[in-house]
Amino acid sequence: MGNEAMYEQLKQAIVDQDADAVLEAVNEALAEGIDPRDVINKGLLPGLNVIGEQFESEDIFLPELMQAALAFQAAMTVLEPAIKEAGGADEKKGTIVIGTVKGDLHSIGKNILKLLFETSGFEVHDLGIDVDLFKFIDKANEVNADIIAISALLTTTLIGQRDVIDALKDQGTRDKYKVMVGGGATTQEWAETIGADGWSGSAYDAVVKATELVS
Amino acid sequence: MIDLIEVFDRAEVGPLISETDYYMKRYVPKLAEVIARHKVKWDKQTIINTDDDLTDRVFQAAIDLLAEAGAYCPETNRVMQFTRDEILLACSQAPRSATFGEDRERKTMYGRRPDTTGDRPWVHVGGGIYTTDEQIFMDTVEKMASFNIVDSVSVPSILHLRGKDSRVRSPQEILAACKTVRLAREGIRRSGRSGLPIINGISAASQPASMFAASYPDFGLRPSDGFLIDFLSEMVVGYEALQKVAFYNSISANIGSTSTPLFGGYAGGAEGVAVTATCYMIMGNLIFRGTYHYNAPLHSKLHLSSTKPLIWAIAMSNAAIGRNMGYPMVNLPYLGGGSGTRQYHYEMACYLLAIVTSGGNIFSGHPAMSVQSDSLVPDDHKFHAEMGLAAAKLTRAEAEPLAQKLFPLFGDKLKDPDKGMTFQEVYDARTKRIVNSEYQRAMDDVRGDLAGMGLEVPVS
Repeated sequence: MGNEAMYEQLKQAIVDQDADAVLEAVNEALAEGIDPRDVINKGLLPGLNVIGEQFESEDIFLPELMQAALAFQAAMTVLEPAIKEAGGADEKKGTIVIGTVKGDLHSIGKNILKLLFETSGFEVHDLGIDVDLFKFIDKANEVNADIIAISALLTTTLIGQRDVIDALKDQGTRDKYKVMVGGGATTQEWAETIGADGWSGSAYDAVVKATELVS
Repeated sequence: MIDLIEVFDRAEVGPLISETDYYMKRYVPKLAEVIARHKVKWDKQTIINTDDDLTDRVFQAAIDLLAEAGAYCPETNRVMQFTRDEILLACSQAPRSATFGEDRERKTMYGRRPDTTGDRPWVHVGGGIYTTDEQIFMDTVEKMASFNIVDSVSVPSILHLRGKDSRVRSPQEILAACKTVRLAREGIRRSGRSGLPIINGISAASQPASMFAASYPDFGLRPSDGFLIDFLSEMVVGYEALQKVAFYNSISANIGSTSTPLFGGYAGGAEGVAVTATCYMIMGNLIFRGTYHYNAPLHSKLHLSSTKPLIWAIAMSNAAIGRNMGYPMVNLPYLGGGSGTRQYHYEMACYLLAIVTSGGNIFSGHPAMSVQSDSLVPDDHKFHAEMGLAAAKLTRAEAEPLAQKLFPLFGDKLKDPDKGMTFQEVYDARTKRIVNSEYQRAMDDVRGDLAGMGLEVPVS
């Protein structure tokens, strides 16, 4: 099988959200000597782009997005060692620390965004829900993050987004990270008020914004 | 029906599982399975379903979903499991009515069946929208309560103390919740209808401590009001919710089980939302011992509930419960259009035509996805209650062509909805009369448009 056909097979396996087929195609590609970075960039990521478009147009929903992400993650467990073995470095867009603010137990919007970030080539560290503000900062320091992404659904928890930004200022590290805010109760006006670097009303737009922020 | 302590115990003894595995190995595959098993399918065109066989299959799918996937308790990481017999018994013993209010305002909300054209549905208005000023809060509540067609109100939220917004779980939140209740009851008293029930208890309280504190009788709430307890999406039954269940059952208060299945989330599309929404209503009775249900499905990206597949799914869940269980339901619409806009009125008309003919009671909705402060404009809600009463005279088959005519008037605007007005922009601060001619004209125009389509909406 030629390389182009191999890339198409990889892409289709991701679009089909078929983890077994993805792994089979990845192993076949490596066996044929294809560079593991090309497996990602020319096979898997184009498939994830299709998944992202299908999600945006409501042809698929969160469960299918998760299946595709799980298939991608399974593939990466094979590809990352292969890249290291070949002496290369993986090419990620950036590193993001994400979570829902303290006092807020809502997770679905944040989970959707996490998956879209991951499938768009970002390394994502998910802190979950009800996250202490210093955990955002400590984790960002630990993983040398580019972006801190903070979700809040409730009006009474919005203030937690501002607290993270204020704490970064207090520590003198505000300029080290881009801060994105989002969630049901947030608006562009709120993001501007608290001095966030980015806001988006949808997960898909948030990925575009994050890509702009790290470029 | 299994007793409440046994229900709580199910959160302690079910299978241990991570949240991700609960979704990916139980809820999501089971939902797909029951949808396929019962051949639940939306044709991508219909807004108001009239196929009763399909409706009943949605109900059966919801029973199967709860029996086979269970609910998830994040505090214990366990699945709360219930047998099919336990679920069916709970359905058969579900309340068919809920009585609210005091004295002259004491009335009963009934579970309705689809195509019931001879009754008068319960009329609930308002919403928990954020309010910036105490005077506006009082005026809003007083004005809503003064409309004589109204049977109950949802009151807005007022979160600030001394100019600062209270934070979740803070002592200020407790004070804000207490203040909200006190002001709301005073606003209702000023309307001359002191016994009128508040059934969104308690809008400014996000945690059990705030709800319990604000339930102290001296602040003005009574067991004959209604207290909302939420499921978290999807299928999550947290300890905070169970704490509220324990307390409000202990004082024999009306409990509004509340759910917000997300279109585009784990529930997937229209079929998944219809089945999951129906499942929540069954869970509301079985797990929360609710006396009524607040059904609030929402689009995960647009943050509103007036898309075509969502209106279909919401109406379907009302019909499924109305035909098979009889649990009283109100449905909380989140609309894209801002207050006073034609878009908002068209969205509400379409939504109410679908829901009221399918067995739901009347509930006016949150404009502007509820993110615009002070956007609860009482005359909007009166107009929408009037729409609901007009819709109640129709069957689903009669309402469907009207809904199809209405949808194109707002469907393309949902991604960039029209901005609306605030209370202050509509009313004179002293007389509380409408002084915004544009606001009045939009309402009059839409009333005329609806009449032209065959839906006469008399002014009450």
